[in-house]
Amino acid sequence: MPAMRREGVFYLFALPFAALTILFGLWPILLSIQVSFTDSATALQPAPAWVGLANYRAIFADPVFLAALVRTLAYTVLAVAANLSFALAFALLLDSALIGRGRLFFKLAVFLPVVTPDVAGYVVWRWLYDQSFGAVNAALRLLGLPAFGGLASPRTAMLALLIAELWHHAGFYVLIFLANLAILDRAQAEAAQIDGATALQRFRHVTLPQLRPAMAVNLVYAVIQFLKTFTAVVVMTKGGPADATNFVSFYAYQQFDSAQYGQATAMATVLFAIVLLVALTAYRGAERGRA
Amino acid sequence: MRRAPAWARGLAYAAATLVSLLFLYPYAWMLSSAFRSTRDILAAPLALWPANAGTDAFASIREAGGVSLARAILNSLAITGASTLLAVAVTALGAYALTRRPHAPAFRLLRAGFLLSMMYPYMLLVIPVYLVMFKLGLLGGYTGIILFLSLGPVQFFLFEQFFRTLPLEVIEAATVDGAGEAQILFRVILPMAAPVVATVATITFLLNWAQWFPVLVISATPDTYTLPVALLALNGELGTNFQGIMAMALVTTVPPALVFLAAQRHVMGGLTEGAVKG
Repeated sequence: MPAMRREGVFYLFALPFAALTILFGLWPILLSIQVSFTDSATALQPAPAWVGLANYRAIFADPVFLAALVRTLAYTVLAVAANLSFALAFALLLDSALIGRGRLFFKLAVFLPVVTPDVAGYVVWRWLYDQSFGAVNAALRLLGLPAFGGLASPRTAMLALLIAELWHHAGFYVLIFLANLAILDRAQAEAAQIDGATALQRFRHVTLPQLRPAMAVNLVYAVIQFLKTFTAVVVMTKGGPADATNFVSFYAYQQFDSAQYGQATAMATVLFAIVLLVALTAYRGAERGRA
Repeated sequence: MRRAPAWARGLAYAAATLVSLLFLYPYAWMLSSAFRSTRDILAAPLALWPANAGTDAFASIREAGGVSLARAILNSLAITGASTLLAVAVTALGAYALTRRPHAPAFRLLRAGFLLSMMYPYMLLVIPVYLVMFKLGLLGGYTGIILFLSLGPVQFFLFEQFFRTLPLEVIEAATVDGAGEAQILFRVILPMAAPVVATVATITFLLNWAQWFPVLVISATPDTYTLPVALLALNGELGTNFQGIMAMALVTTVPPALVFLAAQRHVMGGLTEGAVKG
């Protein structure tokens, strides 16, 4: 009996955590998936009308959704490549023997945006791009460079968004690379140097393979991060101009806002499936790497 | 090792400084724009030093985004504070139970369910959360907002990782001495966990201060808006109060920036650790 009571205490400890997980994690997800199989007009009623896969058929026949899906995937690839290559380059620079004093300052400068509320950061960026108030075009004029369309032009809006998001997120990836660089085996690089390997060869064959753990973590985080891009769109572009930044998450939210609950939750489920696929693939890859 | 030539070091410092200044420039611009007049800004958008400094912008946001600035500040402090305390308590207890009894079937299921729900696209989860809040009668109040913000993956991973490294001998010794599990937790484990509790609390404060979408969705009126939500509403209003927006962004940014700079080592260490091990 005392043994059972002893075990029971652990269930008591876990109870609040379990309650929150069920109430605000699992239940809403199940509810969302359930709504995706019902008719929007009746979705919130006690006895919703089941429509099978009709919502899924509808969204995959919707050219706006398909374009948003392709755009989301393309943006994710671009944003991940830009963020991780910048972060790797900057981390290597800070880790190199060339930088001694001031290292902490450089680290803090790129990490401060990570803990800055994203709404505040993106509001500032929205105005930095502004044609009359903004500093971006004023700076380009000063340097004698052509003007940047920023958020106003469909051709540059995605790039403008990507730069602002890089500002907000890249510091995190820099930190992960730095943590990995700090535990690198320096003896290997020195041995390679004595053997006459060039700096580039040492980087490719000695440093880069040892950075695999950080690369894997950053890749998973960044892919999931940019697949879900939402706040930047809400604050800076509202999906425009001319749908140039209309990503799946924003489009789904718009559908929900206009009471298309069935289709909105179907889109959410599709995005969830993609995120889950990425996460599981990465997880299995990491397990294999460890074995 | 040979010391690198001076030109190489100079080049490295120039590159690092340039990148850092580009990352910090938006802060300087926000700061100066909150204190400069429209005419000054249009005349010299790049300049950072205000020619005629004024605090008109702050007077103009006494009411912003449908809520008074004072109320938005109090909401931010109350919601962030309460959800941080709750998140630390709930997650610490949960992670402790799950690491002490990792093979209990109910706990394995709970852990998997938690991880799964953390992978759901967050802003899309908020939509069904609206339905759940509606069913629970928590729409429009502080309780729903605070409860929803009390669950996060970073907090869980940090605690789980800490509890996994606990020396089992200490627990065994306490058990032999006849201590109950509650006693072990509060008398033995908790004192050892003080640093990780502080780190998790700081990180949760920073994360929850920035939250806006759940707050917006669960709120029925602007009365429960926090600073980021009021800023977003102000930014969406017709007519351009540019300086007011910058002043509001400044008020939203300064508290977490100060907390971060005061605890930077713990925050950066905690966030990388939680990510790498999770």
